[in-house]
Amino acid sequence: MDDFLIGVLTNIGIISFVALSAYMLLLSGEVSFGQQAYFAMGAYAAGMVTAMLGWHLVPALLAGALVGAAAATAVGSATLRLSGFYFAMATLAFAEMTRIAFELFAFRIDVGGTPVGPNGTDGFGDIRYLFENGITPLQYLMFVYALLGLVLTGFFVLERTRFGRALRQAGADPLLAELQGLSVVRIRLLAAAAAGALAGLGGGLYVHLLTYIEPASFNIMLGVHSLAYGLIGGLGTALGPVLGVLIDIGVLESSRLFAGYRMIVFGGLVALLLIVRPRGLLDERAVHWITSHLKRSMYAAGRSGLDGSLRRR
Amino acid sequence: MIDLIQNTLDGAMVGSSYALLALGFTLIFGTMRRLNLAYGPTIMAGAYLGTYASLRFGIGALPVAIVVVVGAALVGLYVERLCFRPFGDSAAIASMVSSFAVWMQIEEAATLLLPRHLNAFPALVAGPPFTLGPFLFRPEHLLMLAVATAAAGLVYWALHHTRFGLGVRTVIDHRRAAEIVGVPVERVLMLAFILASAIGGVAGFLIAATDHQITPMFGMWATTKGLIAMMLGGLGSVPGAIAGGLALGIIEAHMQWAFGPQVRDLIAWGVLFAVLALWPGGLMGSRRLADAAAVQRRL
Repeated sequence: MDDFLIGVLTNIGIISFVALSAYMLLLSGEVSFGQQAYFAMGAYAAGMVTAMLGWHLVPALLAGALVGAAAATAVGSATLRLSGFYFAMATLAFAEMTRIAFELFAFRIDVGGTPVGPNGTDGFGDIRYLFENGITPLQYLMFVYALLGLVLTGFFVLERTRFGRALRQAGADPLLAELQGLSVVRIRLLAAAAAGALAGLGGGLYVHLLTYIEPASFNIMLGVHSLAYGLIGGLGTALGPVLGVLIDIGVLESSRLFAGYRMIVFGGLVALLLIVRPRGLLDERAVHWITSHLKRSMYAAGRSGLDGSLRRR
Repeated sequence: MIDLIQNTLDGAMVGSSYALLALGFTLIFGTMRRLNLAYGPTIMAGAYLGTYASLRFGIGALPVAIVVVVGAALVGLYVERLCFRPFGDSAAIASMVSSFAVWMQIEEAATLLLPRHLNAFPALVAGPPFTLGPFLFRPEHLLMLAVATAAAGLVYWALHHTRFGLGVRTVIDHRRAAEIVGVPVERVLMLAFILASAIGGVAGFLIAATDHQITPMFGMWATTKGLIAMMLGGLGSVPGAIAGGLALGIIEAHMQWAFGPQVRDLIAWGVLFAVLALWPGGLMGSRRLADAAAVQRRL
């Protein structure tokens, strides 16, 4: 694989984390414009742990996820009463506050003769963990996708648990969910915490790929994009947001297709797609259709196999 | 003390343009119950068309203003057709994301029209600032305040004394009921959308003529300022939009003077977050809107 392809694929994998984070909240019925805040916090926290403390990557990523989850829980408890656009605006307000706070945040220490650490609007550079430990881009790609695979497996398991069904129910009809004895507030708080952890983990992966971050990278655009990925790819399965990222970054941003007026084409396509499929390509109906067909063909294959073996005997 | 009053005056004048932005936002939100993220970019597109016209044909400030307002209204119509009309009463999130996709379209189209990042915008008043007692005034700001007041008054009059306004208020109260009593809901929504975009165009022209420049970033700036001002005042409330805009302008002016631009923005967002968390209805809104919407969904 050439370096360009590896870079694009790693980027797709990492942005998928923040897209899945927004998707998690969409499942619970909340629209968040602010998942980039936890992505940024995870990035700063993980970068500081490896570059300033000199620790291993794994505790750094854990720290990033933990910071994301803690902040998301705090914001979630402050905005428990809000729903719909009020919640969306509160998350946006928090994310912009976070971005500006990082613009004002400077904390540098001496590491091997050079000052290292976040430095306000100048950003946070010299996060050379991968380079110093001889991790190749290909190895890092594998690592990112292994983690993404774990997360996706987690989502598939979740869909089959009681909590996963409660989550979808709270999203589909909160009033009915309450009447069924579910605590919508608790479900949403748990979903917000998990979403914060996911975004924080993604941020930790992101900072080590780029080696340099600045507050401006975590602006509204990232938040609205991650929300849009789920809606483009589909809300029926956790593969939906990943598909959305793949379409945007993989197909459009990385190819030289429609150079110069890519956004006009892409924006128009997304708008038209949403008219036809308001819940994305892989929406609940599509997922149901695919899984039932898969089951049927697997069943058919199993039976013909059995028949064959019977006949042979 | 003089600084305090001077900052409040400056803030109120800039805030009057925020109030116009919020007014357009709130008209769309009140009637449709959805968020038009492409609102700021719509205004930016109008302003770009105005700049283009002035560069190409050398027209004066007033014709440019007309181009900006008409341009914004037409782009607004495009947004309505593509992102809001097809969804009718359902899929609020999809139409919001769709308006974001169109935002990307508009931004790229604007940079194709005028590839330079910074474009000069014709100034409206060339006069120098003057003093009145101990206070300093910029003629542009006074004009901004006057035009914003007139535009807000006109909207208020139109909402309360015309058939169209009656239709808008009926749709805001209850969309289904409006349909039942024979209000042409789709047409009212479309006209309200165009009116909102035109109001945005007025605000955009005033701001660009005061700053003497326009960049593609104006779209995001107008969307965020309009959103904060609208949410501060309360979703879907016309007096709330005005109060929210003025409040935001005054808060920003004081914070800018005391702490500089970064803390100014931090505090503006912080105030919004605090208002939402503590007092979700905004300064003048009520919980009624949200509750009514919830009840309507259940029916």
